[in-house]
Amino acid sequence: MIKIENLEKVYKTEEVETTALNGINLHVAAGEFVSIMGPSGCGKSTLLNVMGLLDKPESGSYKFIDTELLTLNDRERSNFRKKNMGFVFQNFNLIDELTVFENIELPLIYNKIPAAERKQLVNEIIERMNIVNRSGHFPQQLSGGQQQRVAVARALVTKPKLVLADEPTGNLDSSHGNEVMELLCELNETGTTIVMVTHSSHDASFSNRIINLKDGHVISEKINKSRNEELI
Amino acid sequence: MFRLNLKIALRNLWRNRGITSINVGGLAIALAAFILVILYFTYETSFDKTNPNYNNIYVVGRIEPDFKTNYTSPPFAKAIKQHLPEVENAGITKRGFFEFSMKNGKNTLFAKNFMQADYNAAKILDLKPTGGLEKPPGNVERLSYLSKENMRALFPDKTDNKPEIVGMGASNSGITSKINGSITNNLHSNITFDGISIGNEIGKGENYGYNNYTTYIQVKPGTDVANLEQKITDLYRKELLKGETDQKTIAEIKGVSTFLDPLANLHLRPKAGNDAPYKILIALSILGILILVIACINFTNLSIAQATKRAKEVGIKKVMGAYRFQLTAQFLVEIFIQCFVATILGLTLAELSLPYFNNLFQVNLSIWTTENDLCWQLPLILCVITLIAGTYPALVLSGFKPALVLKGNFSTSKQSSWLRNGLLVFQFSIAVIFIIGLFIINSQLKYMRSEDLGFTANQVVYIKNISMFNKPETFAPVRDKILKIPGIKSATVATDIPDGAEGGANGYTFEGVKSSLDFIDVDFDYFETLDIKLKEGRFFSKSFPADTTNGAVVNESTVAKYGMKNPVGKTIRGCNIDYKIVGVVKDFKAQGFESAVKPTIYSIKNPCGNYKTQIMVKIEGNKMSSALAALKAQWLQINPKDGEDFRYEFLDDLYGKLFKKQEQLQSVFFGAALLTIFIAVLGLFAFAKYITNGRIKEIAVRKILGASDIQIFSLINSSFFIMVLIANVISWPLAYVITKRWLETFAYRIDLPILPFISSALITILLTVITVSIQARKAVKANPVDALKYE
Repeated sequence: MIKIENLEKVYKTEEVETTALNGINLHVAAGEFVSIMGPSGCGKSTLLNVMGLLDKPESGSYKFIDTELLTLNDRERSNFRKKNMGFVFQNFNLIDELTVFENIELPLIYNKIPAAERKQLVNEIIERMNIVNRSGHFPQQLSGGQQQRVAVARALVTKPKLVLADEPTGNLDSSHGNEVMELLCELNETGTTIVMVTHSSHDASFSNRIINLKDGHVISEKINKSRNEELI
Repeated sequence: MFRLNLKIALRNLWRNRGITSINVGGLAIALAAFILVILYFTYETSFDKTNPNYNNIYVVGRIEPDFKTNYTSPPFAKAIKQHLPEVENAGITKRGFFEFSMKNGKNTLFAKNFMQADYNAAKILDLKPTGGLEKPPGNVERLSYLSKENMRALFPDKTDNKPEIVGMGASNSGITSKINGSITNNLHSNITFDGISIGNEIGKGENYGYNNYTTYIQVKPGTDVANLEQKITDLYRKELLKGETDQKTIAEIKGVSTFLDPLANLHLRPKAGNDAPYKILIALSILGILILVIACINFTNLSIAQATKRAKEVGIKKVMGAYRFQLTAQFLVEIFIQCFVATILGLTLAELSLPYFNNLFQVNLSIWTTENDLCWQLPLILCVITLIAGTYPALVLSGFKPALVLKGNFSTSKQSSWLRNGLLVFQFSIAVIFIIGLFIINSQLKYMRSEDLGFTANQVVYIKNISMFNKPETFAPVRDKILKIPGIKSATVATDIPDGAEGGANGYTFEGVKSSLDFIDVDFDYFETLDIKLKEGRFFSKSFPADTTNGAVVNESTVAKYGMKNPVGKTIRGCNIDYKIVGVVKDFKAQGFESAVKPTIYSIKNPCGNYKTQIMVKIEGNKMSSALAALKAQWLQINPKDGEDFRYEFLDDLYGKLFKKQEQLQSVFFGAALLTIFIAVLGLFAFAKYITNGRIKEIAVRKILGASDIQIFSLINSSFFIMVLIANVISWPLAYVITKRWLETFAYRIDLPILPFISSALITILLTVITVSIQARKAVKANPVDALKYE
């Protein structure tokens, strides 16, 4: 589904040039769950941002089911993003002024889904995420795990083809972290492609394939046999 | 989507309600000031605008070698209309020159300005008697009208518009007059009156010497006014030259010209007069616009200072696929709503302060009339301020990069800090100028109120009177009767009272030197009543009968002017009388503080003088009310010719009116100082908040490294402290020049004090430290770990 070739990204400040991505090649098949690991500063977040069209690389190619995405303008990128992608962040990034329901509803509004259908979709996902009794609450009234569930729900409500997760368990304790990982696995099992950046090999063990980055290069790729066997 | 955005906006505003109210409140206050300014501006620039021929009406004035005047003579208008075809109509008016009473039974009215106008002038000026303007029919010389308000005062129950007969002067005078009806007295016009009589022709038989009239002309649309002006000058000279043979007079006439002054200029900047009101209006308008723009910029700064809180929202929305223009529009709408609330609040504030404003500027403005143009001006202003205040924050906010802000380590950029610094310095400079100005106006007024005037106005009552007492023997019985009332110490009559009025001037010769002196004609006890100090010789006295024929008293300035040595007993000649100087009095400030005491001569007899009608009485303080009551009760017996209307004013009140202009200025400066300091502090507040937000991490790190609270407070304060100091240094010379020039308009003034300069610095620095510390406190008191958490 995703074909990334020779991706290069350089951060420039007045004095220093930092190469974040140095000729990355990466293929992700539809329905895969890929983890990206690596030490701090290896470029994994940059890669995720580029995949999410939040950042532009200097050169290279990024094809999403045969569509070249790097040549799109801002407007087209926005459109593509809202139709095909969902995001989950380490620090949840829920809007504090909106309730749980309204937070989840927001992407549907940007996708111009009619109100009645929105309501139905949001209610469905709220039920699936087991946060029905929280739907009128504001983010600050929830625990971290609950907030991340809401964030996941928000990422899923548009039924995206690709979910990008940036250290989704980074701000959670291990039991809440496991809950979120199980949620992502369930999601993957229903056919959604997931790319996740993580520091935790425990979290990575939930995925099909683990990619190791260092200094902007892919240094190794590993098929996660246990998980694949489990699936078979 | 709109609904959800609205929710975000409202919840956000509510969560930050402190900041929101400061932001909206600041804008509202500036708007209120601005609304008042535009109301005033509209009012002042639209005098007579309801006249259908507004743009074609001109006053014809004269230019003499040393002055310009609007006063012209009756035949001139006729000549203009007769000879110049481009003039559609020409007419004249004449002001009423003295106050008289009108009576209907018990109802009395004092008409100060009963005007006269010819029918043509009435037509040009669009005068509107009830029932329409009427040409006086054949044998009727004039039609007289009372203003509607005065008509109601005299005839409260009158409902029709039939003519009435009113008594003139005292009820025992037996004089009556016919009033043909009522007329609208438009206060928003250059022509106002208590009543007016309209004749087919006024000033009949008066020639070109009688320059007591105002000439109005209405020209045909499209007339070349400069050309017409020249033609009228030529005509005027031709008329004056008729029958003149004396070469000197002919030469003089050739030096005279005329001018045309549009009706539109008459109120604010008449050619024959000064344009100070116009300059004040322009200055006020600039100040109003400046305050509003600065408030908008403050609004912008505060909005951007708050931006960090919205960054996450922007990031998420962008991630979800929002376009930038959607976000820009969202923030613009949000700011529009705030501006809208500010406008409503501003309107309310303006309404609340309107009575004070009206009182201060002696106008009668109202927000709720269709006459002012607020109904279209306000929505326009609302849109303009939304754009000024909103565009930049909306662009900055909608421009956040989601990849950066969603990581949580976000701080607003420090760009254009010189602009922010400059703005802050500018705001404080203006505030400092007003503060210094206010202090100095206060000191000067305090000086004027406490300084020895050279006479005592306190407990002197000025009695309005219309009968003349030029000879002492006619006033003697009146004085005798007045003095019988217990508590009254002295009584006198003179041509002028010391309330700033200008007396007449004439040439006087002393020891061969001729010079012009002001003269005031007085009666016995004048100096005693006013408690004026004697320097040499004596006051007028009944023991010296010659005082009533050729006695004169001069003041110190006269002595100085002629360089007199031992003037008492010497002769000064004027008005064909050899006056004998009997005394010299110390100078006293009869004309207020602006002009130096004029060399003045006081005499009892002066054939060249004016009417002595101004009665003054000195009353013991504790018997004031009983004495006044007795005067009122007995007035008809005391002064039968004046009638039963005893009317008085306290001399100190009258003299106090000389300070009116300064008091007005003081109020304006007080308001402006408050407003500018408020807005400057608001700007500072926003700036300090912005800076502190940007330095939260730095402060946290410093605290962890062991900085004390005081050290952090002084760290944040220091840059602001320097900026406010710079603002003071910049505005001191400006304030010095401005206040010095203002003080120079007074002949009697304080030395320019240093204290206001120091005080303004102390005040602004104190306000700065307080404002900044309030902001800094949050950062200082916060747990440093929280600030560093998401690093």
